[in-house]
Amino acid sequence: MMASIEIENLTKRYGAMTALDNVSLKIESGEFLVLLGPSGCGKTTLLRCLAGLETPDEGEIYMDGELVFSSKLNRIVPPGKRNLGMVFQSYALWPHMTVRDNVKFGLDVLNLSESDSKDRLDQVLKDLGMSDLQNRYPSELSGGQQQRVALARLLATKPPVFLMDEPLSNLDARLRMDMRVELKKFQASTGSTTVYVTHDQTEAMTMSTRVVVMRGGQIQQVSPPSQLYKRPENTFVADFIGMPRINLIQVNQSDGKNRLYSNGDIDIDIGWDEAPSSIVVGARPEDLKISKKKLEHSPTCEVSSVLPNGPETIIQLTKGKTILLARIGHEIDVHEGEKVTVQFDQKALNVYDAKSGALLGPPIDADRTN
Amino acid sequence: MDLATTRDSPLMRLILDPVNILLMILLGILFYLVLWPFLELVLHTITWGDGDRRLSRDAVPGEYTWFHWLQVTASPLSERMLYAPLVNTMITGVISTVIALIVGGGLAWCVIRSDMPGKGWLQPILTLPYIVPSFAIALAWETVFRSPKVGGQPGLYETVLGVAPPEWVSYGTFPISITLAMHYFPFAYLLVAGALATIDSQMEEGALLSGASRMMILRRITFPVVAPAFAAAFVLTFGKTIGQFALPFLLGAPTQFHTIATMVYANLALGLDSMAYVLAILLILMSLLAIWASNKFVGNNARRFETISGKGFRSRQVALGGWRWPIFWSVAMFGFVVGILPLILLGYQSLMLIDGFFNLSNLTMHFWTGQSDPEIAMGEPGVLYNANILGATWNTIELAFFSAVIASLIGLIIAYIVVRKDGNPLAKMLDQIAFIPFLFPTIAFGAMYLTMFAEPRGPIPALYGTFTLLVLISVVNRLPYSVKTGVTAVTQIGRELEEAAEVAGASWGRRFRKIIVPLASSGVVTGMMVSFVGVMRELSLIILLITPSTRVLMTVGFNYAEEGLTQLSNALVLIVAMLTIAGELILWWAGKSKLVRLREKHS
Repeated sequence: MMASIEIENLTKRYGAMTALDNVSLKIESGEFLVLLGPSGCGKTTLLRCLAGLETPDEGEIYMDGELVFSSKLNRIVPPGKRNLGMVFQSYALWPHMTVRDNVKFGLDVLNLSESDSKDRLDQVLKDLGMSDLQNRYPSELSGGQQQRVALARLLATKPPVFLMDEPLSNLDARLRMDMRVELKKFQASTGSTTVYVTHDQTEAMTMSTRVVVMRGGQIQQVSPPSQLYKRPENTFVADFIGMPRINLIQVNQSDGKNRLYSNGDIDIDIGWDEAPSSIVVGARPEDLKISKKKLEHSPTCEVSSVLPNGPETIIQLTKGKTILLARIGHEIDVHEGEKVTVQFDQKALNVYDAKSGALLGPPIDADRTN
Repeated sequence: MDLATTRDSPLMRLILDPVNILLMILLGILFYLVLWPFLELVLHTITWGDGDRRLSRDAVPGEYTWFHWLQVTASPLSERMLYAPLVNTMITGVISTVIALIVGGGLAWCVIRSDMPGKGWLQPILTLPYIVPSFAIALAWETVFRSPKVGGQPGLYETVLGVAPPEWVSYGTFPISITLAMHYFPFAYLLVAGALATIDSQMEEGALLSGASRMMILRRITFPVVAPAFAAAFVLTFGKTIGQFALPFLLGAPTQFHTIATMVYANLALGLDSMAYVLAILLILMSLLAIWASNKFVGNNARRFETISGKGFRSRQVALGGWRWPIFWSVAMFGFVVGILPLILLGYQSLMLIDGFFNLSNLTMHFWTGQSDPEIAMGEPGVLYNANILGATWNTIELAFFSAVIASLIGLIIAYIVVRKDGNPLAKMLDQIAFIPFLFPTIAFGAMYLTMFAEPRGPIPALYGTFTLLVLISVVNRLPYSVKTGVTAVTQIGRELEEAAEVAGASWGRRFRKIIVPLASSGVVTGMMVSFVGVMRELSLIILLITPSTRVLMTVGFNYAEEGLTQLSNALVLIVAMLTIAGELILWWAGKSKLVRLREKHS
């Protein structure tokens, strides 16, 4: 039950709007790949192209080595023949069928023998703990139970590829947390290749083996979740990932001194010799160190807002026109209006080209200096 | 996954897509059944026919001519054939529509927005006049106001008061306008009630807080908001009145009072087909003009007046205070007079041995259960033993059943294509063509099919005189409604429900059968029932196409009325009225139980 997916130069237009712009992606067998991005970025379109529910204008799609779509060869394999299962955002449970009939539908299409079909149905319903509810109608189930029926329907036909379109977005926060754990286990136990669409970055980070960040129909970055957070490859991804958001400080080369950059309020020494004259420095809120002592070469900012949030506190710092967010623990107690000194964790910083927004690298090469 | 590449190519998929195949087939069928008959009708009027030789020496059958148009519009006959009926049509149409709107609008306000008591059972009574066949009311009017000056027996009015009613009360503009208004006010009522129900009473409360009086609120807030609905109701009601045939015929023809619709019938009866068709075309143009005018007025203003019914929607009822009971009694009396009294009168009249004698010794069951008696009613047996009528009953039910089922199914398929192929120009065209029959006054539509199917054409045999033709025209006539019902039903079925089945590999046929049909069924079955009742009471549409072997209850009733056998015709109309009321009751009951079930599920 394994299948890799290859997407090559896929383009999909709706009139003048380009929903997918020359997208290429290779998805390994058994991977849990999350497509993440703001609404309208093309993630759902990409998923629907994989399912065969949308027909791309250009490009190729291979599933398990088989060509299922090709604009050049005029080949479109219909959704039902692509050997995949899908969970829709609304679950798309058929309201006029019982839980059992909903799950059975796919097996009926496969023309399975009555006994095979019955065995598989019983097994799937048992696995998902729905045996007692199998004669209920979808409207008589809770949100979480409906979600399970959608999964049962997906599992019954044992497809090697799972496609999921924001399956948890209709659940309340607590249930969503539980279902995340369950979905992850579920995927690991079946080993199916899973493509999962969401706009919720926590969901993307917690469940995926790799995350694809999309914007305006293009792929911005493909990385394992931890790297996505630590080394965003451009300012869009840096800004999109992380809550509270990253501090992006645009600084310019100061006269004569190559390595010193400044925006008038804050000076940063990135320790590089060859860098563009204008850069953006990305610093996560937890990469800012606050101290009440005065330190040389470190800017002094005013605490303009304190937002306690359980285990941590977010504070807003102001110096001139520059506003920074910092995440601090309980070891330091600050109040609004106080002056504090801010230090950056040099190793965690990322430097971007201000013009293109592309990542140039960490400021100080860890191997070289330390 | 081993598929021939040709089957997977986009072009082949487009051609093999069953929805596209259906779209093309339906376009062809509708073109043939909706647009072509209209062209035939027009062509017929500008071509010399075989029968025209007796009208003009210049007639060359098959050649083009303006003769018929000139005869109708600019000849010594025009005054009687076109202009007088045109004026009559306009006057009765406008008067009856205005009355229907005032009455319907007022009642709608009482039922929807006021705290009038007894709404639950007043509402069905108030819709009764629209449920029963239109000429039931005309027959009831005749029963009361018939004037022996024109012939026949005296009516109830004369029997009680001893003097004959003035002729203008018995026949012509006045009774036609009043009875048309009586038949159509529930239609206006339903349209206005729908608009009133969407008004957020917070709008009115806002005005109340700023110190406005109740009248001022009604005039300045409520009325302007429902104005577009009023305008739409005006045009729709007017469009329906001008196509009415039986009612003006019964209350006008005895004194040579004609509308365009009755003139179409009269001309056909005289064998002046082409003249009749010219009039039918003019009738269609009037209807188009009205719709166009309403679109121009309402279309531009509708958006501005659109009320938003989102969160915080509240509908508070206006307290009538001391007027509560007087208003209740007036509405109840009115409901009785227009809804129930006509049926009682018809029933009573059908029991009179000699028409016009309103004493108990004159009562008989003969016209219901009697055997043939040469002394009475030209030997026609009572309706319950009359073989003709039993045959007509069977025909009526068969016609209503087949038409309703076929129209609903085709309507659902068209609706499916229209909703799912949103943006496809051909699908849009299909939607528009399916709506066109709505614009044809029913008697004109009948005239079209008469020209179209009178003789064989290519592979299609002459359908005139067959039951099939009646089903065909009834189905096409119901299509605008069944497509609308279907669109509502299909729109509520999320696209994802179907895509889930598509991903599971179900073919289109399977998806339509297993997902779309079951989920749309409750709405479609309701629509089917509405069509069933509608076809059953339809007369104007089929009157021109009926032959003795295909007669239905309404046409038999109409023929009896024409022959002056009023008791029999009343008995028949009463039977149809009972059938349609029974149909409505089933609908009402089904709708109610459905609501209860839904509520149970939500709780």
